[in-house]
Amino acid sequence: MKQMKHRLRWMLAPVFMAAAALAHAGPMGFKDSTMAMGDFSPNWREAWANHALTPRDALGAGGLYMRSDDKKLTREFAELTYTRLLHRINGEHSQANFWFVGGAGNLRGNDFSGSKTMLAPGVSADYETTRFYASASVRLYRAPGIKHDFASVRTGFSFYEVDYDETQPWLIVEARRMRGLSEKTEITPMLRLIHNRYFVEFGINNMKQGRFNFMYIF
Amino acid sequence: MKPFALKFMATGISIMLATGLFSSAWAAESVKVTVNGMVCAFCAQGIEKRLSKLPATKAVFVDLKKKVVAVEAKEGQTLDGKTITSEITDAGYDVVRLETVQQSVADIQAAMKAAK
Repeated sequence: MKQMKHRLRWMLAPVFMAAAALAHAGPMGFKDSTMAMGDFSPNWREAWANHALTPRDALGAGGLYMRSDDKKLTREFAELTYTRLLHRINGEHSQANFWFVGGAGNLRGNDFSGSKTMLAPGVSADYETTRFYASASVRLYRAPGIKHDFASVRTGFSFYEVDYDETQPWLIVEARRMRGLSEKTEITPMLRLIHNRYFVEFGINNMKQGRFNFMYIF
Repeated sequence: MKPFALKFMATGISIMLATGLFSSAWAAESVKVTVNGMVCAFCAQGIEKRLSKLPATKAVFVDLKKKVVAVEAKEGQTLDGKTITSEITDAGYDVVRLETVQQSVADIQAAMKAAK
């Protein structure tokens, strides 16, 4: 049974890896596309995949593993998600987006038996030009007796403009914080590389932990 | 010698005219679209994917710097401006200008690269 669980975790790892990239370029792709997202660090492993049913609505599923700084407390959240593009402003040289992300699912933890139903509504906003990026997101992770509210801000710049078929490097810095599991603000400078449908970020946070994010549109 | 030279020149001109007429009859036709909000290749790929799937599309070119998308029609087929606008809108962007030009996507791409 333990082996099965171990195998299952490894099989699900790519899915979990896909989810934390939420606030990076947008939590859903274009109409009829399927998007996978992942965010991996020792204390936070998240992965999502969703399918855009309309230009503004996507349904998906994902999983999140969270761990406290002292490594004693863990959470595993499997969720079904709904993503809504609330508003988009397409400028001549910029784009701004306002998103809603809602999740509902099953929460398990090593400090309680069985599972709890967790709801996770959130909003995020981003602004981007070909050289500058900024975003902010808030998500409430709530279950009976549990509040793991999450907030993050990101900003960064690209080193230079590129043509559509070239790789564009960015320097992005993120600060994020989650209640109940960590009392520290995690700050991570990351190198972001965008090439066509590939989007990856990697960096090392202020706790000297590695981090890797990705997004991919099918 | 003179009549021969004249005949040679006349033949040359005829060939040039015929070639010109022939090539214009087969001239490539493209739709050039100026798009607002197109700031990143990862996001803009939706435009390329959706437009490439249209039955009349031969080639698509995206220029992020100039915010231009060019779509070339297959020989003997016509691209519908309304459909192109709808596909770009479904990809999440706003069309601000649309024009039909007698150029291939390769020519448009070369001209835009030369202008940079």
